[in-house]
Amino acid sequence: MDRRRLDQMADASHFSEMTKLQVARAETTEAFLAQAGPELASLCTACGACFNACPMVDHLGLRGSDPKSATHGMRRLAMGEAGHADTVSWVGACTKSGLCVAACPERTAGLDAMLLIRIAKRRALNDTHQLPAKQDPTYFPRLKIYARLQLSDEELAKWL
Amino acid sequence: MALGGDRITFWFGCNMLRHAEMIRLSIMLLERVGYNVSAAGGPAYCCGTAHDHQPRGASNMAGRTVARFNEAAEKDGRSTVVTWCPSCHMHMADIMAPGNAAAFDVTHITELLADRVDRLAPLLKVPVKRRVLLHRHIGFATHVPVTDRVLGLLSHVPGLELVEGPAHPGHMCSALAAVPGALTAAVGETWTTAVANHADTVGTIFHSCHRELSALDGNDGVGVRSWVQLVAEAMGIDASDAYLDWRKGGAPDVAAIERADQSKYHALVEPELRKPSPLLAAPRGMAE
Repeated sequence: MDRRRLDQMADASHFSEMTKLQVARAETTEAFLAQAGPELASLCTACGACFNACPMVDHLGLRGSDPKSATHGMRRLAMGEAGHADTVSWVGACTKSGLCVAACPERTAGLDAMLLIRIAKRRALNDTHQLPAKQDPTYFPRLKIYARLQLSDEELAKWL
Repeated sequence: MALGGDRITFWFGCNMLRHAEMIRLSIMLLERVGYNVSAAGGPAYCCGTAHDHQPRGASNMAGRTVARFNEAAEKDGRSTVVTWCPSCHMHMADIMAPGNAAAFDVTHITELLADRVDRLAPLLKVPVKRRVLLHRHIGFATHVPVTDRVLGLLSHVPGLELVEGPAHPGHMCSALAAVPGALTAAVGETWTTAVANHADTVGTIFHSCHRELSALDGNDGVGVRSWVQLVAEAMGIDASDAYLDWRKGGAPDVAAIERADQSKYHALVEPELRKPSPLLAAPRGMAE
């Protein structure tokens, strides 16, 4: 890496950035997501920009698919309606790369494309049941064993 | 800068419980630059993002965690929550806070350390003679420019040389695991680039990437170190890495296994540690 670039980074004055938390708009996250899905979907024009920007499209072999059709389906899913198999496959593969956020032409109107896709994925899991639920009942028990292998009694009591 | 004070809650997440040394090093770094740190994590502080298939349960977990941080802000003056995990951070910003009134702000550990690099840099006196390729992802930049922050911190480590490497999809390796070929491609590309550029170390930013890369440590003369371990080395602290040692065939000592519950260790943890890495099964770099 260019040493000068690193030196510039080291020298640049830096002011800590806080992630500005939104004011709560609902009583629970479940209620918020139920509300946000249709709201965000109504801002989406199904232009296909988020699909085109998504690096997972290549991994899924969907690069030749119609981006407008995919995003139209994603919008439907976010409202709780079934989507086309390719659309379900795409939203199910969201890895939060975030390239969709900047690519979305409706961003200035308040459309967070990554959140809309995440909501579509949740709907495909829980409402249209087009994605299989991957339940792992050992998830928390495993983590607790890792904690007990390594943390002192004091750390266990204070941190967990 | 908008920080509410030096009293912070370090929210290390769930899966960092595999990497206790990284939690301790993170706390140590934050304390050395002047923060009063209270650490919190594990299932009782779950953000809920790993439970999308259980919307009611995930919502309850998110509400409980926000309530605990609200209490820490109101009763203990800890009005800043400092994250390690990008999943937790994004989930808090995008989903938890809009659904639960939060009495705190949130920032990432790399932001806080970068903000006080004038205090951190003088502590980095021990040359770390490593040629490091930083394994990185493109995600999370929507919320925190974490790659630039880590590169900036590492630029203060004397003796350490950084080499360019590829940026991978997703926000960290665990996100790629569910997409066929994506994880192997990302880690394979990191490794082959490190070898081709004569790096002796692959540096990791996040725990899930560290977990995946740990199995490759020592192959091709390349080691795997987290950015916090590299910074600690520059402070003269030889940071151990139990998970990496276990992943490469070691095991916790018998007393620790008995304390954790021997039967559960064998049932839940040992299979993960002994699972063959697909990255070692396939020719590297070729990632399907």
